[in-house]
Order: sequence, then C-alpha cells, then structure tokens
Amino acid sequence: MTDSALATPPSTVAPKITVRDLHFHYGDFHAIKGIDMDIPAKQVTAIIGPSGCGKSTLLRIFNQIYAIYPKQFATGVIEMDGQNILDPRYSMNRLRSKVGMVFQKPVPFPMTIFENVAYGIRHHEKLSRKEIEARVERALRSAALWDEVKDKLRKSALGLSGGQQQRLCIARAIALKPEVLLLDEPTSALDPIATSRIEQLVEELKSQFTIVMVTHNMQQAARVSDQTAFMYLGELIEFDQTEKIFTKPGKKQTEDYITGRFG
Amino acid sequence: MNALYLRRRLANALAMLLSAMATVVGLAFLIWILWEILRQGISALDLKLFTRITAYGEDGGLLNSMVGSLVINFVGIGLATPIGVLAGTWLAEYANRTRLGESIRFLNDILLSAPSIVMGLFVYTIIVLPSAALTDGSTTFSGFAGGVALALIALPVIVRTTDEMLRLVPSTLREAALSLGVPQWKLTVQILIRSARSGIITGVLLALARISGETAPLLFTAFGNNYMAFNPMDKMSSLPQIIYQYANDPGEAMHALAWAGAFVITMFVLLLSLLSRLILSRNKVSHD
Repeated sequence: MTDSALATPPSTVAPKITVRDLHFHYGDFHAIKGIDMDIPAKQVTAIIGPSGCGKSTLLRIFNQIYAIYPKQFATGVIEMDGQNILDPRYSMNRLRSKVGMVFQKPVPFPMTIFENVAYGIRHHEKLSRKEIEARVERALRSAALWDEVKDKLRKSALGLSGGQQQRLCIARAIALKPEVLLLDEPTSALDPIATSRIEQLVEELKSQFTIVMVTHNMQQAARVSDQTAFMYLGELIEFDQTEKIFTKPGKKQTEDYITGRFG
Repeated sequence: MNALYLRRRLANALAMLLSAMATVVGLAFLIWILWEILRQGISALDLKLFTRITAYGEDGGLLNSMVGSLVINFVGIGLATPIGVLAGTWLAEYANRTRLGESIRFLNDILLSAPSIVMGLFVYTIIVLPSAALTDGSTTFSGFAGGVALALIALPVIVRTTDEMLRLVPSTLREAALSLGVPQWKLTVQILIRSARSGIITGVLLALARISGETAPLLFTAFGNNYMAFNPMDKMSSLPQIIYQYANDPGEAMHALAWAGAFVITMFVLLLSLLSRLILSRNKVSHD
C-alpha cells in the first residue's frame, strides 16, 4: 500500500509532519484516497493539482478545520512531533494554536488592526499589556505590514486594502508563534504586486515556520517552494523537490499537468 | 438584425413602464395615508395633546396613552430582545442544518405570521385570567400583560433577523477564528455577533416599530385606562387602543384626537426606520 519512495522526497531535513494512509470523506464522497507524505520542517511545501483534486482538503486536515462541519471525517495517521493529531484525544484548540492557517480570501475580524493580531494571543496566553503590544508589533513586522499600519493600529482592519488584509491575516496567524503555517491559495484574490509581496514574505518566514501552501499557480509553486506535491483525483501522484518536479518530473501525469496538457 | 434590436428596446420600455406604474401606485397610497393622517390630526395637534390625559375627554390629550405605549413597548421589546437574539444565535450557529433547527425555524416562521389577536387571547388566558384568582377575582388587566403579548409578536421577528444576519456572515470568518484555536462560544460572542450587530439592532428596531402599532393584543391585556399609570401592573392606556376607542366615538373632537394619535405613532415608526437606516449605513461606511 505504502510506496515509501513516493512518500519521502529526497530531502535531508527531518519531517515535521508525517502522513500515513490518509483518507478523507465528505459524506459519501471519498475525497482523499490513501496519502503518504513527509513534510520537512522549516521548508516550503507546495501542493498543486487541478480543481477538486483534494489539495485544499488535505491542507484543511492539518489543522482539523474540517471538523466544524458535519459528516466530514478523516482516517489514517498524521503525526506531528511524534503525536497523532487525528487521535480524538489530541486537543483541537492546542493543535490550532500550533498550526496556523491563512485562507484564500483575506478575512479580517470586525475590530481594530491591533485587536485582530492580539485576539489569538489573548486567548492562549495571559500577558501584560506591554507584552501583548510587543508581540503584536513583532508579528506585524514579520508580516511586512508594520510600517504601513503603525499609525492606525486603532482603526478598523476592514479599511485596509486586500493585500494588506491578507498580510494582517498572516500576522494574526504568526502572532501565536505556531510551528506550522498553512496557506490556502493565499494570493488568488490579490493583484500581482500584493502577490509578490506575499511570496517574498513566505520566503522570509520559512526560517521560522514549516510552511505548507496550496496554490493553483504553478509559477508560484516553482518560485517559492522547496518541495512540490502534485495531486490528482484525491491521490498523491508525485512528491519531490520543486526543481525536479518542474524540470524532469517522474510521472507522465505530472508532466502533462505542468506543461498544461490537462487540468 | 435591426428588427430584433427594436423589439428588445420595446420590450425593455414596456417592462420599465409597468414597473414604474406599480411603484407609483404603491407609493401613491402610502403618501395618501400619510397626508390624510396629517390633515385630519392637525387640528388636535397642540400642546394639550402632550400635557393632558384622556380623562378630560374632548378637552384632554393623550399623555397617559403615550406613557402607556412607551411602558408597554419597553416591556415587550425588553422581554423579546434577549430571548430572540439568543434563540436566533442558537438557530444560526448551533442548530444550523440540523433537523431540530430546521423545524424550529419553520415554527418560528409560522409564529411570525400568527394573527396578533391570537397573541392577545393567549396572554389573556395564561396571565390575565390566572392572576385574577390571586386577587380575589377582580380583573387583572395590566400593562405587563400587554407587554408580554407584544413580546410574543416581536419575538419571532427578532429570532428571524438574528438568524438571518448571522447566517449572512461568511463561513470563512468562522473558519479564520476557529483556526486560531478559539472556542465556538468566543467566536460567536466576540466575532459573529459583532459582525452582524448592526443587522441585529435593525431587526430589534423594526420589531419595535411593528409592535408599536398593534391594537388587538392590547384589548384583552392592558385594557386601557383614562388616568395616568406608570406601574406596569396597573391597567394601562396605549395609543393604538385609544385610537380604536376614539375612532368609534361619535364626537368630531374625539376623531381629531384619534387622528393626532395616529400621527404620533406614524412619526415614531418613521423615526425608528430612519434610525435603523442610519445604523445600517454608518456600518457600511466603516466597512469600506
């Protein structure tokens, strides 16, 4: 069942997340059909594939956000630091504080810019006002947003531009000091300039976080990722170093997709 | 080709004409009603209206009815708002897409269109009659009972708007908050209700506008009172009830007073509608 050559890319880095025989169902629909995959720590792993191939679904299992909807369930093993996060005894809120997520559309909360970033910190940690301010500033600096918003921290976050809102969402996620950052097509709703800022940011952030990014944009995967996984119809077709996937892919299906012959 | 284009233009012009006519017909009646209320009530619109009570009859005003209306509406909206907002929140956030939730939503919609007189009779049976037994059989109509009847009318409106406003909040906002490891209750109270706040407040104001014109539920509950009453446990006058009573009176002066009362209610409702529009539009600006 397990094709281990397929599961492990030739990366020397120790895996942060180990996926074994993962299946996922939306009610009767079998969306992910037995995936094995080792996601290396502090690198960028891109997941590509045509619409409906299960790439977003896979990402949404890593922080169990699917669990808020009825009739969706995952089976198999996903180990993070040696613990199976699919085990019902594994605290979901703890998992989500360790695995941050940024979505396709920027979703700022209806509060001030400062409160958006402080919101998660306040829930998970008891900190003094000063400490929270410092954490918010650091998160906004890491998200390359500080200079643009430092004079309007008390203004509503809804007044920011789309690209700024998306960086705010990244700041909000990294303010919790997560270990893994999941990005679900983070630039698909943004213009080219905002997109390139986010891509730069991803490059900078990978020294601190393990990043898994779903993208429908193959150039983006080629530009920013270290590993690329190609998925098709709920299966992991190929997972290798990005350079190899885009220059000499091992499978015909991967090649066809990358060269635009289908998808 | 040209003939096709001409036909489309004609069809367009016809459709525009029909909808414009429909709008004019609808608006004409509205303006007619407003004009008639103003014209008929204007002779009774003087200071006396706001300073004297109904006990003076033709020489009186409507002060006690206005106070009564305020007290009864306050009780009604005060009871209906917390229950309605909580129930609507439960429907949208905890019972959405469950069979129980769907059934309750359906029942609430039935309640929404229940005849208001039924609410009055219901409250008469469950509050007015039983409490008579506690007071050696004397009748126990009260402003409070009237407020409960109005609350039953406002409740489904508030449940419905809260439910709808919360369901309009995009699910991505829920996912974003939950993905920070925040529990459901915090998400609901601090983010979802905040996003839907202006819509919910508008719903409450519209419910208030709706109940402030209700007459039938007050006839068997608040009953009416020609003297000033501030205690909700007393019988109470109210504007709709006094309009009903004065309109049935043969005296011309009484009719003018009834029209003046109608004018006061209409202005109150207009004010509430303006207020809710203001809240909605202010919120929209801050979203940009």
